[in-house]
Amino acid sequence: MGLFDKLAGWLGLKKKEMNVLCIGLDNSGKTSIINKLKPDKSQTQDIVPTVGFTVEKFMSQSLNFTVFDMSGQGRYRNLWEHYYKTAQAVIFVLDSSDRLRMVVAKEELDILLQHSEIAARRVPILFFANKMDCKEALSPVQCSQKMGLDAILNKPWHICASNALSGEGLTDGVDWLTDQIRLS
Amino acid sequence: MSSHGDSSLDKSGQKDDEESPEKNLWLSAHQDPVAGLYTFSTSISLADLNADSDHKLLVADLGTGTFDMKLKVFKGTSLFMESAIIDLPTALVTFYMDTNDPRTPAVAVASGPFIYVYKNLRPYFKFTLPPLEVNAVEQDLWNQAKEDKIDIHVLREMLESLKNEGSEGLLTVRSLKFLSLEPEELEAFASVHKHAPLKRQTVITCMGTMKKSMADDDAVSCLVIGTESKDVFVLDPEAFTVLARMNLPSVPVFISVNGLFDVEFRIVVACRDGKVYTLKRGSKIAKACIELGAQAVGLERTGKSIIVGCMDNTMVCYSTKGKKLWTVYLPTNITTMSLMDHKARGFKAVMVGLNNGEVRIYKEKYLVNTIKMPDAVTAMKFGRFGREDSALILITKGGGLYVKILKRTANFEGKDLTPGPPPAQSIKLNVPKKTKLFVDQTLRERDSAGSMHRMFQHDLYLLRLMAARAYVSALQKSLNPISSSTTEPLKLSAQVQGIGPAFKLTVNLQNISSSVPSTNLLITFQFDDSLYALSKPCITVPLLVPGLMYTYETLVECISDKGISDFIKVFVLHKGNSIPVITAVINMPVSEALVIV
Repeated sequence: MGLFDKLAGWLGLKKKEMNVLCIGLDNSGKTSIINKLKPDKSQTQDIVPTVGFTVEKFMSQSLNFTVFDMSGQGRYRNLWEHYYKTAQAVIFVLDSSDRLRMVVAKEELDILLQHSEIAARRVPILFFANKMDCKEALSPVQCSQKMGLDAILNKPWHICASNALSGEGLTDGVDWLTDQIRLS
Repeated sequence: MSSHGDSSLDKSGQKDDEESPEKNLWLSAHQDPVAGLYTFSTSISLADLNADSDHKLLVADLGTGTFDMKLKVFKGTSLFMESAIIDLPTALVTFYMDTNDPRTPAVAVASGPFIYVYKNLRPYFKFTLPPLEVNAVEQDLWNQAKEDKIDIHVLREMLESLKNEGSEGLLTVRSLKFLSLEPEELEAFASVHKHAPLKRQTVITCMGTMKKSMADDDAVSCLVIGTESKDVFVLDPEAFTVLARMNLPSVPVFISVNGLFDVEFRIVVACRDGKVYTLKRGSKIAKACIELGAQAVGLERTGKSIIVGCMDNTMVCYSTKGKKLWTVYLPTNITTMSLMDHKARGFKAVMVGLNNGEVRIYKEKYLVNTIKMPDAVTAMKFGRFGREDSALILITKGGGLYVKILKRTANFEGKDLTPGPPPAQSIKLNVPKKTKLFVDQTLRERDSAGSMHRMFQHDLYLLRLMAARAYVSALQKSLNPISSSTTEPLKLSAQVQGIGPAFKLTVNLQNISSSVPSTNLLITFQFDDSLYALSKPCITVPLLVPGLMYTYETLVECISDKGISDFIKVFVLHKGNSIPVITAVINMPVSEALVIV
């Protein structure tokens, strides 16, 4: 690191780098959320199911986020665990209108929490109860009950309702994540 | 704090594992014990009705069994649409009837002699089975009734005799209903119905689908229907005309279709006469292939095998040629059967619902999983529901609707859970071919078995005689290390220590009598004096107190350098008596050569 970089760091000009893993079931809206968080001009209009994963970057006030946007399809879910090691935070996206598959999301969360790379670390987990605009959507409180989030004791977590199409609720979640990373 | 969180998670995971192994495999996604559904496996289906890859559940609900029949569509966990059905539904299938986009499948509900076809969940077409020929006598009787030329009671008697002639199944519904009425109701019934033309209709008993000319998942399919008139019809998907009509010797109850209509197909039908028939392309009449032990309650096909559930609590597998492959005995009655085809993993199994509320999953004849349900399951279906590929729909006798989802980590390729002989038992041993010697020997044994037995017995007696003689002589010469005489009960043991040329010989002597001490004893040795030299060739033994072990030692030096060894005999003698009391023989080890430093 050069002298100028150090100086910039002290002055708060240089932003901290942050690796975030974005997971959730297929069709929950992971790519849409990441797309909405990117600067306006680099957003895409049509979003197709992710194959494998994509890497996206965006920034908040003080952090540079590098997001691994994983595919949520059943056959790609076994890829998630390969990125647990490098993840400094996890974004878990729920489709709050899909009541049927809430158990599947809970199962995937349990697998995540029991994984050796995650279990012992204090990784902040941000839950987006996405698709809040759907009329059959569950509230964030109902989602956290169904997901058994109150059983997570050794990690900071936060759930917020979101709408990836309009961008509602996203900044709330990202602000929480930024605070958590600053604290650690 | 953190460790506490971890352990609680681990514990809950372990608890699930121990309590019920099926929890390992299935997630309970939805349960509604009071959904009030009354249906069977042939009347439920999963289909992508709106072509939005959100698969819906379609249920042809029998209502109360007499009225309130409905077609219900579930989207996720909630009822999406329902529409009334006029008569009891017997089967429901979904199929693609055209190649238009978006690819929305049509729903066909069989009910009475009609098939109601729905597109986009709206009634689209009603197909009526071709009417059957009416019995000429019956027609004549009703014609007379229409013109009031015949008395109602005479009509009834005539119809009754017609029925008793054995043509009950051939009468029209009107006549049958007429015969079942009370005498005072006859007049009214006849006056209402006699003017309408007499028609004989049959009833659909089972329905399946068959791809027409392409094997794709969303290819256009024909409907295949079995009727009470012992026919199987194949219907064109667009025009709803009869493409093929095949005759069966009995009434079909379960139907399973494979293949393409335009290429080659096999229709396997389980009939009410307890037989399974096979129909193929071009054949007009069915070929009987399997005679079942009991009435069929379910029929499934996986690959080349036909699996039939029977009323005698068995599930039997036959090859397509009709050869019985295996039988599985079940603890209670079978309520329903369904195929589990997990395409993503290439896993095919048969699910069997039992009367005791269990759902068993058999991969071939091996039980791979059991699901415990609160009630007997009457209808089940495995497939894509909502956005989940591996969902299992279960509808119970009490009307409950349950949805289970197979875990991503679930693995059926495990061991066989059924008790019974271990698999190693069925592995064939690699037995070598019979040699000529073996064959000759076998022939000889067969021919002269008697003389061989006598020879063996003779040798055995000789052996016993020799053993007895040797024993007697040993007793007489006191050659054994334990004295058996009552006057001098002694026990002798001796051992050699050292590697040579100098050895130490230790003799242990014990008086094994309970109270009598032994006196006047000597220990002496017999040896080859060209080989060994003993420091004490004779040892005087003092009084031996009963029970104690006395130890005597002497040094033996090997004086030969030829590297040979001999034995040394140890005798215990009574003073003044030349016959030893007891004897021990010590085999001396080969002496090491003397090293001169």
